[in-house]
Amino acid sequence: MPVPVLEIDAAQVWRGQTHVLHGIDLTVGEGEIVALIGANGAGKTTVLMTISGLLRPRDGAVRYRPHGGDPVDLARLAPEAIVGLGIAHCPEGRQVFASLSVRENLLIGAYLRRDRVAVAADLDRVVARFPILGERARLPAGSLSGGEQMMLAIGRALMSRPRLLLLDEPSLGLAPQIVETIFDILGDINRAGTTLLLVEQNAAMALELAHRAYVMETGRVTLSGAAADLADNPEVRRAYLGAADETMAGR
Amino acid sequence: MSDYLLQQLANGLILGSMYALVAIGFSMIYGIVRLINFAHGDIAMIGAFTALAALMAADLPIIVVVLAVLLVGAAVGLAIEAVAFRPLRGAPQVNGFITSLAVSVLIQNTGILVLTAEPRSVAFPAFLSQPIAGLPITVDLVDVLIVVLAIVLMAALGAIVNRTRLGMAMRATAENLDVARLMGINVNRAIMAAFAIGSALAGMAGLMWGARYGQIDPMMGFLPGLKAFVAAVIGGVGSIPGAMLGGYLLGLAEVLFVGLLPPEYAGFRDAFVFGTLILVLLVLPNGLLGRAAEDRA
Ligand SMILES: Nc1ncnc2c1ncn2[C@@H]1O[C@H](COP(=O)(O)OP(=O)(O)OP(=O)(O)O)[C@@H](O)[C@H]1O
Ligand SMILES: [Mg+2]
Repeated sequence: MPVPVLEIDAAQVWRGQTHVLHGIDLTVGEGEIVALIGANGAGKTTVLMTISGLLRPRDGAVRYRPHGGDPVDLARLAPEAIVGLGIAHCPEGRQVFASLSVRENLLIGAYLRRDRVAVAADLDRVVARFPILGERARLPAGSLSGGEQMMLAIGRALMSRPRLLLLDEPSLGLAPQIVETIFDILGDINRAGTTLLLVEQNAAMALELAHRAYVMETGRVTLSGAAADLADNPEVRRAYLGAADETMAGR
Repeated sequence: MSDYLLQQLANGLILGSMYALVAIGFSMIYGIVRLINFAHGDIAMIGAFTALAALMAADLPIIVVVLAVLLVGAAVGLAIEAVAFRPLRGAPQVNGFITSLAVSVLIQNTGILVLTAEPRSVAFPAFLSQPIAGLPITVDLVDVLIVVLAIVLMAALGAIVNRTRLGMAMRATAENLDVARLMGINVNRAIMAAFAIGSALAGMAGLMWGARYGQIDPMMGFLPGLKAFVAAVIGGVGSIPGAMLGGYLLGLAEVLFVGLLPPEYAGFRDAFVFGTLILVLLVLPNGLLGRAAEDRA
């Protein structure tokens, strides 16, 4: 495995009175696409929120290695500091700022950056990747369709120039064709040098895109390995790949 | 149009300017922390007494008095946020309402203890009360200044909220606090900015009140504060343009109600204001410019 960027070590996370993560271990290497799959309520979103600082583990560590620096324990940092270290979190359900314009949504992704010239260049690059965002630049983000909002949410996350991009169910509620487009773009983003941690219900697509994967059940990692191996694993096929097809048909 | 009606409209515009300035703060603060600051009207009272003190103590030029009032208003707002709102973040809404009511009572009682409940005259420089010559209606210089200053402040607010990085951070925080944090926004600072700006405007309204009516007392913030809250709700609480619109509409409606109906109805002025609120909310539950509650974060 490449040099680890992120290592979660025996993390115990509570949400309110509920013990949600029961000691999670997870590693993401530089340049990888790592998929995290599992049923509803397994705790996938909770893992991402713990990395980006919206939740704090009661126990265990979340170590991040900045470029050429010493490891940092993210469990001690606020979200606004963590994004500054190069970790962007594209949250579940897109959550664009509906009343802000498309352009403002993109600019706010670069909120911590002071290099105006480079921000403007990145804005052009994101618009080149998602031309619809350029066409809709002045409209409120709430007026976009679901697929367009997903592109905006990804574009917004890219505007911070992340080294590690956390994606929570980018396929959620979108037509299969749009999901294909988005997954192609995620592949491009990764080839351009960004490490991805991808949470998905759509296990088939996630395992096809990812290098490695983890399977979660009720707050624990139950399986992990190369994505191709997991895709062939009978247990995974039965529990997630069949289910994923049904979910797709249901939409 | 008759001169009488014109006079009423002018009076409504002046009163509406003050309501609008106070209503903006209610809406900004609600928009960002989803709580009503019931002590907001009392900040206007503090602004009025700040003006009184500045005028009495130092005979400062009026522009300095205005700046002092804005600063003191902002400082009081920040203090209220730190003491009464921040410790309750994440607690049930009712707790915040009760706490801010307590702060309101505390400010009023402290005012009465220190200053007595006796109304005081504020002596603004005499040139301010010169009538504007050549008009068919009675409008003093101070009235013109109130309306102009209110418009200037609202334009400045609009520029801050819509054109600056801080304004963008405040709007994002108001819409979705967690995602704002994911963007790197220091949401505490955005919340503090909303309190500081909204409270500075309320302080300014207090100065205007003193300048127009000449008398101030520690309880003066209560009823106008409540009416400005009504204005904010009519406009759609959480919406800044809504608060401005609500403030002016309420000011005009109140003055016209008193001015156009027979004098024996004048005593129902406040009942009329709250009746208007109920009517508006029956027809438009989110106010004139407010968004549906589901649309908010
Ligand atoms: N605010 C909360 N308070 C208490 N428990 C919560 C809260 N949010 C989520 N949970 C619980 O935590 C568990 C994990 O939730 P999480 O959202 O991480 O799951 P998930 O794997 O992302 O599910 P999905 O695929 O449905 O998005 C669930 O059992 C859920 O009920
Ligand atoms: Mg989830």
